[in-house]
Amino acid sequence: MRIVMTLLSFASLLVADVRLPKYTRQQLPNGVVVFLVPVSGVPLVSFRVVVKGGFEGESETQTGVAQMAAQLLRRGTTTRTADQFSNELDSLGGSFNATANEEETLVTSEFLKKDFNRGLELTADAVLHASFPETEFQKTLARTIDGVRSIKDNPQGSMPLYYRAFYYGPKHPYGRVSDDVTLARLKRTDLAEYQARLYAGKNMIVVVSGDFDIGVAGPAIAKVFGSAPAGTEYKWLPEQPVPKGRRLLLIDKPDATQTYFNIGQPGLRRTDPDRTAVLLINTLFGGRFTSLLNDELRVNTGLTYGARSYYDQHRDTGGVVISTYTRTETTEKAMDLALDILDRLVTKGITADQLASAKAYVKGTYPPQHLETSDQTAAMVSDIELFGLNRGEVDDLFSRIDAVTLDQANATARKYFGGKDLTFVVIGNAAKIRDTMKKYAPDVRELPAKSPGFR
Amino acid sequence: MKTVALLLALSSSAFAIDDVKTNTLQNGMKVLVQEDHNIPNVAMYFFYKIGSRNERPGTTGVSHFFEHMMFNGSKKYGPKKFDNEMEKAGGNNNAYTSRDVTVYTDWFPSAALELMFDMESDRIRDLAFDPKIIESERGVVYSERRTSVDNSNFGTLYEQLGASAFTAHPYHWPVVGWPSDIEGWTMDDLKAHFKTGYAPNNCVMVIVGDTTEAQVMALAKKYLEPIPRQDPPPPVRTKEPEQRGERRVTVRKQAQLPIQMVAYHVPETKAADETVLDVFDAILTEGQSCRLYKRLVDTDQLAISVGGSLQPSLDPGLYVFTVQPRTGVETSKTEAALFEEIAKIQATPVSADELRKAKNQLLAANFRQLKTIAGRANLLGTYEVFKGDYRKLFTLEQDVEAVTAADIQRVAKKYFTADNRTIATLVPASAAASMPEVK
Repeated sequence: MRIVMTLLSFASLLVADVRLPKYTRQQLPNGVVVFLVPVSGVPLVSFRVVVKGGFEGESETQTGVAQMAAQLLRRGTTTRTADQFSNELDSLGGSFNATANEEETLVTSEFLKKDFNRGLELTADAVLHASFPETEFQKTLARTIDGVRSIKDNPQGSMPLYYRAFYYGPKHPYGRVSDDVTLARLKRTDLAEYQARLYAGKNMIVVVSGDFDIGVAGPAIAKVFGSAPAGTEYKWLPEQPVPKGRRLLLIDKPDATQTYFNIGQPGLRRTDPDRTAVLLINTLFGGRFTSLLNDELRVNTGLTYGARSYYDQHRDTGGVVISTYTRTETTEKAMDLALDILDRLVTKGITADQLASAKAYVKGTYPPQHLETSDQTAAMVSDIELFGLNRGEVDDLFSRIDAVTLDQANATARKYFGGKDLTFVVIGNAAKIRDTMKKYAPDVRELPAKSPGFR
Repeated sequence: MKTVALLLALSSSAFAIDDVKTNTLQNGMKVLVQEDHNIPNVAMYFFYKIGSRNERPGTTGVSHFFEHMMFNGSKKYGPKKFDNEMEKAGGNNNAYTSRDVTVYTDWFPSAALELMFDMESDRIRDLAFDPKIIESERGVVYSERRTSVDNSNFGTLYEQLGASAFTAHPYHWPVVGWPSDIEGWTMDDLKAHFKTGYAPNNCVMVIVGDTTEAQVMALAKKYLEPIPRQDPPPPVRTKEPEQRGERRVTVRKQAQLPIQMVAYHVPETKAADETVLDVFDAILTEGQSCRLYKRLVDTDQLAISVGGSLQPSLDPGLYVFTVQPRTGVETSKTEAALFEEIAKIQATPVSADELRKAKNQLLAANFRQLKTIAGRANLLGTYEVFKGDYRKLFTLEQDVEAVTAADIQRVAKKYFTADNRTIATLVPASAAASMPEVK
C-alpha cells in the first residue's frame, strides 16, 4: 500500500479558518426575517423559528408564560387538535421542540427532505395558529407544576433554577424563575395575551437549513410566514443592575450526601467586545478537562467527579459561574480550593503557553460543536440576527482569537474573574454545613428543598 | 390520515455501505474507516469488549474505574499528558463504560491524527499504575457514584431494579460498582483487568472524518499492530435462570414524588426479536402520539412522564418502562394502566397506520444519529460489537420494514408477562411511615 501522510510535526497543528456557508436573508413585508441556509449532507431539512422576547418579555405577574406558551404550541391549533398534530408529526418521523429562554421563544423542527412542505406547514401551524385549548392548558400546567416538585428531588437539575432566581433576584427579568407558586397563578388568557403581543411578524426570525430546494423554499416560506400579523416590534428592556457584594443561599436537602455549589459573579453581554478573550480565559479556567478548576478539584485532589465554569451569553449582562460538587465532609475544602483557584488566576495570571493551548482548543473543537450539522448552522445564523451581529461572528472568529494578546487575556481575567462580587448557591445537608457557610458571606439565607418555589 | 413509508434509502444518501472500509490488523484489532470531509475533524472510537459483565463480586465497577485510569498516564505520555497534549492540539475526548463494553472516544482536528495514534497505542500497551493516583481517582469515581446513584432517585431505583431482575448473571451489579467495592479495589485488581480486556484482538477501532483509509491504516500498522495479541476475556458462563414469578422491590427515600420502573427480561441485541422490540418500543413510548403517553400522561393524567428503554446487550437484557406518577397518584394506578396497555397490544394487532408511524419514527431517529461524525462512529461500532456486523446498519430499513403486526403481538405476549417482570418503586420517605406494605 502506498503511504500518504502529512509530515506535520505535532507542534504545528494548523487549523484552517472556519466560515459559515452561504445563505440568503430576506425580510417579508410583515417584518419576518427569513434565512435560507442550504447545507448538503444528509437529506434532512430543519426549521428554526425565533420569537423575540422570551422571559424578559413576560410581565411581572406572568412568570412562566413564555415557556408554557411554547410547550402548548403543539397542543391544539385553530385547525388541529393536539392528537392530530402529534400523529402527523410522528407519522413523518419528524421532530418538534419548543422552549423559551431569557430573550427568545425557540421552535425547532426537523423533517426528511421530501416532507419539506408538510414539515413547514406543521411547524408554522404551531407557531402562528396555536389556540391554547383550556383543557390542554390545565393538563400541561398541572403536569409542569409536578415537574418542578420532581426536579427538586435532583440537585443537579434544580441547581440552575435556584441559582438563576437568587443570582439575578426577583426584580431582574432573568431572575423571575417559574416554579410551582408562580405557575399556579397563570391563566390561559395570559398565554393568549403573550402570544398576541409577541408572536408577530416584526419579532420573528425563520431559518431554513439543510437539504432543500432553494427555489421552492423561498416562496413557500414567504407565503406561510407572510400571513403572520406584523404586530408591534418588541422593545428590549434597558440594562438591569448586576448583583453586588457577597451573598449566599443554602438549600437544605437533609438526605444529600454531597454538596452542590455554584459561585457566580458579574460577566458580560452576548455582544461584548471582550467575548473572544473571555472565551479563551474561561476555557483555561473551567471550560475543558485540563482547566485549572477541574485539574485541581478532580485530577489532583479527587474531591469531585467534575468542576467547571461557564458564562451566560444573553442580551443583558449575565454571570461567570463556577459549578461543582463534593461529598458533604469535604464541602469547605472544595469551596476554599475553588476560591483559591479563582484568586490564583487573577494574581498569577496565565502564561503564553496556556493561552496558545486555549486558542488551539477553541479552534479545533469549533467545527464539530458549531458548524457540522444544519441545525448548528441555523442556530448560529439566528443568533447573529437576534443579537444584531454579522457573519463575521463565525468567519472572523479565528482571526479574533489570534489577535488576543497575553496582556489582554490577563486583563480580561482580572476584569471578569476578579472575585469581588460573589453569589453562592449551595445545596446540601444544612445541619452539617450551615456553620461553615457563614465564612463565605455576611448574609446567608436558608431554604428547605421541600418548600414551594425556588426562592 | 394515511401514513406512508419513510423511504430513507440510506444507501442513496451521503453514507453508503461501500464508504466504510474494513481491515484487520495482524494482532486481531478490527479497523473501520469512513472518510468524510465535511468538517476538518476526525472521530476516533475504540470499542473494548469488556465491561461490568466481565467482573466478579468484590471487584464490581473495576471496568469503569479502569476507564478512568486510562487517562492517568502511561510510559511515553505521563500523568495528565493525554489530556494536555490532546487539548493543546485542538481535540477533546471522553469515554464510557457499560455492562458489555468500554469505549474511548476522541474528537480532534485531522492534523492531530498521528498524535492520537501515538497516545492511544501508548496507553493500551504501557499503562502506568501510580498508587497515589489510584487513591485520588477512587475519590473521583465515588463522587461519580454519589452523583449518578446515591443522590439521584432515578439512579438509586435503577440500581435496585437491575439487582432484583438479575439474580445470577453479572448484569445484577451496577456498572459503577457497589460502594464497598469502590473502596476496596486494589492495584492488582486493576492490573488483572488490564491483562484481561485490553487486548487488540478484543477491540474494534472506528474512525470517521477528515482522513483517508490509507492514512489510517499506515498509522494503525505503525502504532497499533506491534502490540501483541492476548487471550480475550474468558466467556461469561453464568446464564440468568428463567424468571418464574413477578418480583417487587421498594426503595424508601426522601422525595417529593414516587418513581416506578418495570423491567422485563428480553433477548440480547443480536437476537432476531431485537428489531421487533424496537418497533414495539416506538408504538408504546415514542413521541406524544404513542400509546403510553396518550394513556398515562394525557388522557388519565396519572404521570408526569413515561418512557421505555432497551439498552444494547451482549447477553439477554431488560426492557425497562419508567414512570413518574403525578402528585397524589398511587403507584398501583400507574402500574395498572401500564399493564392494561400491554394487555391491549397483546390482545389486538396494531393497525397498519400505527405500525407505519412507529417504523417511520424509528428509522428517522436512527437517521438523525448519522448527522455527525461522532454519531456515525458510535453507531458503526455499536452495530459491529452488539449486532456482530456493522453492515446491519445498512439493512436496518429492510429489517424494520419486515416487522409485522403479528410479530409485535407475538413479542408482546412472549416477553411482557406478569411472571417475567420486576417492579421497582421509589416511595417518598415522608409518606413511607403511613404507607402499608406494597401488595
